[in-house]
Amino acid sequence: MRIAQNLTLMEKLNILSDAAKYDVACTSSGVDRGGSGKGMGNCAAPGICHTFSADGRCISLLKILFTNECVFNCAYCYNNCNSDVRRAAFTPEEVCTLTMEFYRRNYIEGLFLSSGVLVSPNYTMDLLYQTLYRLRYVHGFHGYIHVKSIPGADPLLVEKVGFLADRMSVNLELPTADSLRRLAPCKSRSTILKPMRQIQNSIAASRQELALLERRLYPGRGELAHWQETPRFAPAGQSTQMIIGATPESDYEILSVAEGLYQNFHLKRVFFSAFVNVTEDSALPALPGGPPLLREHRLYQADWLLRFYHFKVSELLSKEKPDFNIFLDPKCDWALRHLEFFPVEINRADYYTLLRVPGIGYKSASRIVKARRQSVLTFSDLKKIGVVLKRALYFITCSGRMMYNTKLEEDYICRNLMGDKTQIPREIRESGYRQLSLFDEGMIAQDSAASFQKIIGA
Amino acid sequence: MQIFICENSIDGIFSGIYRAYESRLGHNNIRLAAADALLSYELFCQYEEVPVDPENSRKVAATLRSRLGQEAYRDICQAISACETEIERRKNMDKAEAVYKTVVLGLSMKNGSGVLSCLGSPYVARVFQLARSAGNEAHHLLGFLRFQELANGVLFSRIHPKNDVLPLLAEHFADRLPMENFIIYDENRRTAALHRKGSGYLLAEVPEADEAFLNRFSEKEQEYQRLWLEFFHSIAIEARKNPRLQRQNIPKRFWPDTVELAPEAFG
Repeated sequence: MRIAQNLTLMEKLNILSDAAKYDVACTSSGVDRGGSGKGMGNCAAPGICHTFSADGRCISLLKILFTNECVFNCAYCYNNCNSDVRRAAFTPEEVCTLTMEFYRRNYIEGLFLSSGVLVSPNYTMDLLYQTLYRLRYVHGFHGYIHVKSIPGADPLLVEKVGFLADRMSVNLELPTADSLRRLAPCKSRSTILKPMRQIQNSIAASRQELALLERRLYPGRGELAHWQETPRFAPAGQSTQMIIGATPESDYEILSVAEGLYQNFHLKRVFFSAFVNVTEDSALPALPGGPPLLREHRLYQADWLLRFYHFKVSELLSKEKPDFNIFLDPKCDWALRHLEFFPVEINRADYYTLLRVPGIGYKSASRIVKARRQSVLTFSDLKKIGVVLKRALYFITCSGRMMYNTKLEEDYICRNLMGDKTQIPREIRESGYRQLSLFDEGMIAQDSAASFQKIIGA
Repeated sequence: MQIFICENSIDGIFSGIYRAYESRLGHNNIRLAAADALLSYELFCQYEEVPVDPENSRKVAATLRSRLGQEAYRDICQAISACETEIERRKNMDKAEAVYKTVVLGLSMKNGSGVLSCLGSPYVARVFQLARSAGNEAHHLLGFLRFQELANGVLFSRIHPKNDVLPLLAEHFADRLPMENFIIYDENRRTAALHRKGSGYLLAEVPEADEAFLNRFSEKEQEYQRLWLEFFHSIAIEARKNPRLQRQNIPKRFWPDTVELAPEAFG
């Protein structure tokens, strides 16, 4: 074993948080649980961000690996067994102390525990179980726990861990089985999808059991939320993550996989992680422009459209148009290709039609539907409600009138929308995409796929 | 036009609302104005100052709770506690007037609990806007607030919020840390929430804080702060470094009260 002995807690934390940083899922959302009156901790459904690191990402959970020792050889991973990094491992007690002491100082919302594969998947999964058990039952921790299921671990262990955690995840890593075979030979589609299916079934079974129990114990009452009394299997559901830009899959393939996961595995979230080349492996692409952050951004925008806006992947992309427009967000892009749906009358259109208008979010849409029961809405009301008028104005009417004298014409709207700088977020524009010129002459939406490929380097 | 001038506080504005109803002049003939926001007097208006009356305020609160529901009541209180800058005040409708007309609208509805979704009304829109800004700050602080362990084991936190968010924070942390003694000190308002292990919390005014006592930390405190700093720095991905996004997500005014972004942390 190559694990360095006699490391201080500080050194271990340094190594094992550094090793965990490429895991993206740092959310603490999805479960609402009041305090127990003893012990420590509660959970808030929307999640709470505790601070933001230098890369601007939210820090909500103490995100660490139990150990970065690993017997697997995934090419993209910093901790693969061939890589020359310092190796360390926590003890269960050390993880508990860090979690409790950070939690009571309000540094964190809970624990995100993942691990390299030490000895074997079962051995590692058992260590994770022991850690969570100690944290819940010895230290009385009632805060949020997100735990990674180790691919290849025994289903019984996965089951036991699931009853201690709020969210479980298995990383899909790469969108297609082919890429997985090439870059992560120790993992296979089945070692990843099988536990995913198991977690899905356990969550469903636990919900059902709870509902039955409840009907017996408290007839006519709402959902019971004390895991202390009735253990629940991963109440905040399941998530996964995919690495973007390490393999040649198109946005269409990636998003179709995500859609499949939402539909067939009832995942809460699919995370995308822009590939950062840390291992310099020859099987991996060099990314001179830095990680494909804009592509990641577009995928997340589309992911929101799938989860909250009732879009389907087939509406956004197709085999013929497999990648997102870099210059316009997916919703604007869709709207421009479907001008036959517009303009939409704000005071009449139903909720689902409103959702499709660029510049109207799901919150604004529901506010509009409620507010117009009381009075006829005008453009200035929409502004107060939170509609982004500079995008919406081309697509809506209030009492039959457009806001300005605009044309419902693809080229015209496209030109105007691209003048809006927020289409490519400033932080992405200024970190590696400086070479883009938004105002290149004659640039229209359809042309951009080619330049997109060039920039992404795929 | 009759204008009632009331104190800019929950009790003050509720007393004003009570007086407005009691006067029976018709809501269209009445306006409410918060005393400290009154910029100039108008011609053809009668002005009357309404003193704070806890009894009347309590009656109004009870009515709002039962007729508009707990949620709308909470939003209204949050809107009143929201702090406005001088410029915001000049540009926008008077807070007291917005609350008053929102209440009138809510009580005229069959189901008052939906009053805050009537965003077509400029009054409701203003209350909604104020409540949202106060609520956002409270939600931010649930995460950005930091406790330090004092020499006697008490957890101590110092905050400088724009809005009066202490009650919301106290509620949250009392539920989260039931077995801890903790103090949250709002230095701007000189108020504190005190929580005793195993019991409830109370809000108190703090005319003078014992700084020497508050700066004596436990032995372990520095160690955990260092561990946290270590974690905070090693979790960032160098290739994605983005200070602007960081500042956008955690505005600079919160930095001095955190451990990891406070000026001392870089020293």
